[in-house]
Amino acid sequence: MSAALDGLLAGGAAGRRGYNHAYLDEAAKREVRRTLLKALCLPGHQIPFASREMPVARGWGSGGLQITLATVVPEDTVKVIDQGDDESLNALGIRDLVTRTTGAAATTETPAATLIQTRHRIPEDGLAEGVVLVFQVPIADPLRIVDARPSVTRRMHAEGDYAGVWLYLYEDMVHHDHASFTHSHPVEVEGGYVMSPSPIPRHDVARLDGAPHISLFGAGREATLYAVPPYTRVRPLAFEDRPFETERFGGPCVRCGSTGSFLVESGGEDGAPPRLVCSDTDWCRRRRERAR
Amino acid sequence: MSPAALELRSVTVRYGPGCPACADADTAPVRCARCGAVLGCRRLSLDVLPGEVLGIVGESGSGKSTALACANLDLVPTAGRVLVGGDDVTDARGGARRRIRSDRLGIVYQTPQQGLDLDVTAGGNVAVRLLASGWRGFDEIRRRVLGLLAEVELPGDRADTPVSLYSGGMRQRVQLARALANSPAVLLLDEPTSGLDVSVQARILDLVRRIHEETRMAMLVVSHDLGVIRTLAQRLLVMHRGRVVEEGLCDQLLSDPQHPYTQLLVSSQL
Repeated sequence: MSAALDGLLAGGAAGRRGYNHAYLDEAAKREVRRTLLKALCLPGHQIPFASREMPVARGWGSGGLQITLATVVPEDTVKVIDQGDDESLNALGIRDLVTRTTGAAATTETPAATLIQTRHRIPEDGLAEGVVLVFQVPIADPLRIVDARPSVTRRMHAEGDYAGVWLYLYEDMVHHDHASFTHSHPVEVEGGYVMSPSPIPRHDVARLDGAPHISLFGAGREATLYAVPPYTRVRPLAFEDRPFETERFGGPCVRCGSTGSFLVESGGEDGAPPRLVCSDTDWCRRRRERAR
Repeated sequence: MSPAALELRSVTVRYGPGCPACADADTAPVRCARCGAVLGCRRLSLDVLPGEVLGIVGESGSGKSTALACANLDLVPTAGRVLVGGDDVTDARGGARRRIRSDRLGIVYQTPQQGLDLDVTAGGNVAVRLLASGWRGFDEIRRRVLGLLAEVELPGDRADTPVSLYSGGMRQRVQLARALANSPAVLLLDEPTSGLDVSVQARILDLVRRIHEETRMAMLVVSHDLGVIRTLAQRLLVMHRGRVVEEGLCDQLLSDPQHPYTQLLVSSQL
């Protein structure tokens, strides 16, 4: 793909003939921006949009990519992560497409980034005011587990009828003594709509509350966008006497020694026990460099 | 005097478009020959007083279920008003309507499938009413759920079993516990024992009677079974072709029926 892109894009602006700035046509970008403005005005409310065919398959970040391309400006510095990793093939491909079709700079360093597209993580660094975080969303509707019909769940959202999600939590508590959502734990946004935070771990769900950055969520397959503006109350659903709990780990990151970050298992081949390492590779690397 | 727990005021329900030929609910036939509209009930008025058990009998198609659907706010009447505890709730829509149904009404349907989620535990089926009314303390919900299940004589150790594994009689008990969860202003019973064998029927009816004696909760019982009505109700309405044709104290009415249809009904008892 890279070679093909190189050919198409060779020679700067002149070579990009046939491709519009930021890949999408102007009408498409306008439509996504209009939808995003509406989404920001109604925090947590799912807004349908005309999801386009993208050069990635639906379900591979096409929703997030459309938001990124409609939002990015040439002055932006773009970072793309896949489960905390800047170097996964999908993250590389998306970052390549965005920077080459817009002229925006690319980075892997979170503090330098102004626009971050992410699959299922929030970078460990606190994101500053003005930063745009774009989430890739596989299942947009937290009420999908209650009723699969969008016509029914739309009515439930409109009427604030969330007893079904609460019942789900009740049944979890009865059967497992804790909520069974390992990711996508439903959240209540500013005391109103219940929203899926996308499949981020509970560690990240807790960090959405009152965050200074802008969170934009795109579900390309489901043709739905939603958003959380800065400094918005985002509360994970939990019973008053069974508080929401984030993940606990057996020890620190074996690479950087961090105890406060989200860890994942790495290795474990050839009979060796798996080791706990930071899921956010850039954060882990910068910690190690500082320690040196 | 305190207002009626439930009141239907001149309620007419027309299924279908309606036309000038059937515009007058008093004179129109049940099924309009011109437009095909069917009258479920016509200018039906009833009130369930606080602490009272009111029965409605009638054959299939007489309008009993239509009346009950209006009372449970499942159906918006074509004309007339519905009042719960003295409040006119006819025009409540959407979330407001759902909250009135959840907070102030309770219903036991003929078949558990209508009233319960069979994949969810018995406790969950009861808890969902509390959750819908804003209960958010798990221990508090749990206490209330187990208390309600005990009240309907279900063993507490079965509370976390899916209802699909319950027998028919036990499912009706779960429905009853669910209906009682928010201490409704009026409990609606739609043929609560019709699908059950006779011995289980008797135990469920005993339970409903006991709950009424303990709570003095207003109840509206709809049945085609005069035995059920005689056991539970103090006052009785007889419906026929969408109208109330006779009304009175239960024992009096059944021992000395006046209207030809009631006479037929009483004499048809096996």
